[in-house]
Amino acid sequence: MITTVRIGLIAVFVALGLFFTFVSATGVIRLPDVFSRAHTASQADTLGAGFALAAVALTIGWGPTAVKTVLLLFFIFVTNPTAAHAIARAAYEEGVEPWTKGDERR
Amino acid sequence: MTTPESGIIVPVKRSATLRQTVGYVIGDALDRAADGDVAVVHFVSVASWRAEDPGSDRERQRAVDLLEQVETWAGFELDEADTDSDTVTIETAVIGDTDYLFSPEDYADLLTEYAEQHGLGRVVVDPEYSLVGHTTLVEPLEFELAQRDLAIEEAPVDRPTRRGRLVSRTTPARFLTLFGTSMLFYQVLGGFSGLFDLVTGVATALIVATTLSSVSFYRDPTLRESPKRVLRGVIYVPYLLYEIVVSNLVVARVILDPRLDIDPRLTKVRVFVGSGFPLTTLANSITLTPGTLTVKADDQELYVHSLVPFAREGLFDGALERWVRFVFYGREAARFPSPRDRGDTEVLQDPGVDEPANGEPEAVADGGVDCSGDDTQEGDQ
Repeated sequence: MITTVRIGLIAVFVALGLFFTFVSATGVIRLPDVFSRAHTASQADTLGAGFALAAVALTIGWGPTAVKTVLLLFFIFVTNPTAAHAIARAAYEEGVEPWTKGDERR
Repeated sequence: MTTPESGIIVPVKRSATLRQTVGYVIGDALDRAADGDVAVVHFVSVASWRAEDPGSDRERQRAVDLLEQVETWAGFELDEADTDSDTVTIETAVIGDTDYLFSPEDYADLLTEYAEQHGLGRVVVDPEYSLVGHTTLVEPLEFELAQRDLAIEEAPVDRPTRRGRLVSRTTPARFLTLFGTSMLFYQVLGGFSGLFDLVTGVATALIVATTLSSVSFYRDPTLRESPKRVLRGVIYVPYLLYEIVVSNLVVARVILDPRLDIDPRLTKVRVFVGSGFPLTTLANSITLTPGTLTVKADDQELYVHSLVPFAREGLFDGALERWVRFVFYGREAARFPSPRDRGDTEVLQDPGVDEPANGEPEAVADGGVDCSGDDTQEGDQ
């Protein structure tokens, strides 16, 4: 019974992880400029990786390795926004004008 | 006659302490002029672009504008000193737009060459002078210049408190805290597995604490405050996760929507959290929440790119700001009006005509004015 629930949960987490990673990839393709792409490239990915890691932790079960996956998640949470910020700031300082509604797609 | 010593070269770039540097340099030149020298001051802007590069016109314009500004300041100083204006000669120049400059060495070579051509013997450097972008790289530049035949001096200015030196001195409290944290981290990674890990852990933590304790803290951790902060940080995490999930769903819906109903705008929000770690926490939390992305943090002003109105509203409601204040300063500090109520929000790109403007223009109208008194209230935490 417990195992069934656990496997179910793992499947749900993997599916959610895949979903958000998919959204992230779609966003990178569909969104118009570097700023809006930086949003989705980092952020939707954070949740995608988050759910995937949660699934990993559940699969492994309680122990040092599960703790490590939580730590991994922590580091993703620190590094991801930092990277997104670096990209966006680089674009801003280069003088890239953010796309607004009504502009041509670049 | 002009002795080489009396000529001063000052590399300029926009910085918080540039005004003071100009003041110092002119004062110094006036002193020398009073001693009978004809003092010459050259303000030079070192180009970070090449004249052939596309878009370099705008860069050049910016540099020229800055030099004009500097000249005006220098003029003020001279007027104030009330001496013959021709005792001090001011020149400005943009140099180095024919090459790409990579290292402090390149900059130093260029400045030296210019100084030699114009018979200048002394460099005065603005302590906040930066070579590229916003990284302060004064030390390596000064080192390179010192290798050459120029007398070098750093202008004695009051540094703005917002950015101290990256490296500060270590203290026992910092050392022990970092040692403990690294030790704990090491043990977690090793799964608390016995004596071997304990010994290697101590060795590793010692190395980490010795090398990094002088850069890891802004101020000493204390037994009374720091644990509370960590604890409040732990409370903050679930809330942040909740925010991330909610906004992720909103953004996911927008992205997957065939109409792609986005309305991106660059916004500016003035926030009231301490500079340094609290500000970093807030900026990163904002970035972590889908739909908002911190593009630039200029002191307490955050330039945030927002993808959809929902995210923008959330940002202006200031929930994250309140939480960060809670984490760092406790529950009292969290009772704080939202940026919208304070009038500290601004949409930098005006909403188009086709969109009703959500009451933001009013916020723009009085933005930044009525709150100027609060500037000092928070201070540097």
